[in-house]
Amino acid sequence: MWMLSFVPDALLHIVVIGIMIAGIGIYTLSFLTRFVPPLIPYSGIARIIGTILLVGGIYFYGSYETEMSWRDKVAELEAKVAVSEKKSAEANIKIQTVVREKIKYVKETRVVIQEHIKNVETKIDSMCKVAPEAVDILNEAAATPGAKK
Amino acid sequence: MTKLLLVVTVLMMTGCAMFDAAPVKRNFPSVPTELMEACPDLKKTEPTEKLSEVLRVVVDNYGQYHECKIKVDTWVEWYKTQKDIFESVK
Repeated sequence: MWMLSFVPDALLHIVVIGIMIAGIGIYTLSFLTRFVPPLIPYSGIARIIGTILLVGGIYFYGSYETEMSWRDKVAELEAKVAVSEKKSAEANIKIQTVVREKIKYVKETRVVIQEHIKNVETKIDSMCKVAPEAVDILNEAAATPGAKK
Repeated sequence: MTKLLLVVTVLMMTGCAMFDAAPVKRNFPSVPTELMEACPDLKKTEPTEKLSEVLRVVVDNYGQYHECKIKVDTWVEWYKTQKDIFESVK
């Protein structure tokens, strides 16, 4: 059935309808052959072929409708996916803009605070002397847990 | 006859393989580049007696934490947003 997906819709429809019409035609003709004596021997076989074509045509018509139904569903889903991908890209741009602004603000604030430290550096250093152990403790706390020293 | 059977079998098997593939392809949403950067390690203080030097490193580390917090929060927001969009397609 997957091979049907390569056949154009219109051609598939024509073929299926053609098989059904051929079936009806041959089946009807099989009844008319009784009025034409030379064709009477072919009446039975024509009826069988007509029946097979008609039944086959109906079956193919059902398959065709199912195939079309699936194609419609796929097209509908593809459209939805396209919309969702567009939304996703838009959301990403929005998120990226916000995150950039936030990080920029954090960096700017850090610069301002560093400047502030610079202004009061002499005062801070004159009032306090840091013990080497305090630096060690601070570095110990800053070390990445589980990382090799 | 054997060749015909072989061809039919191969065709049927190819048909099965084709059915496995989803007819509609969905791409995984891309992630903003800022979120793909790993958070750096915290800075360590050089041996010093000056509190201002220690303070500078502490301020830098606080800043680093805030940047990482923004990234983690944004990851959560990104996930929720993309999940909502993904689930809206049914």
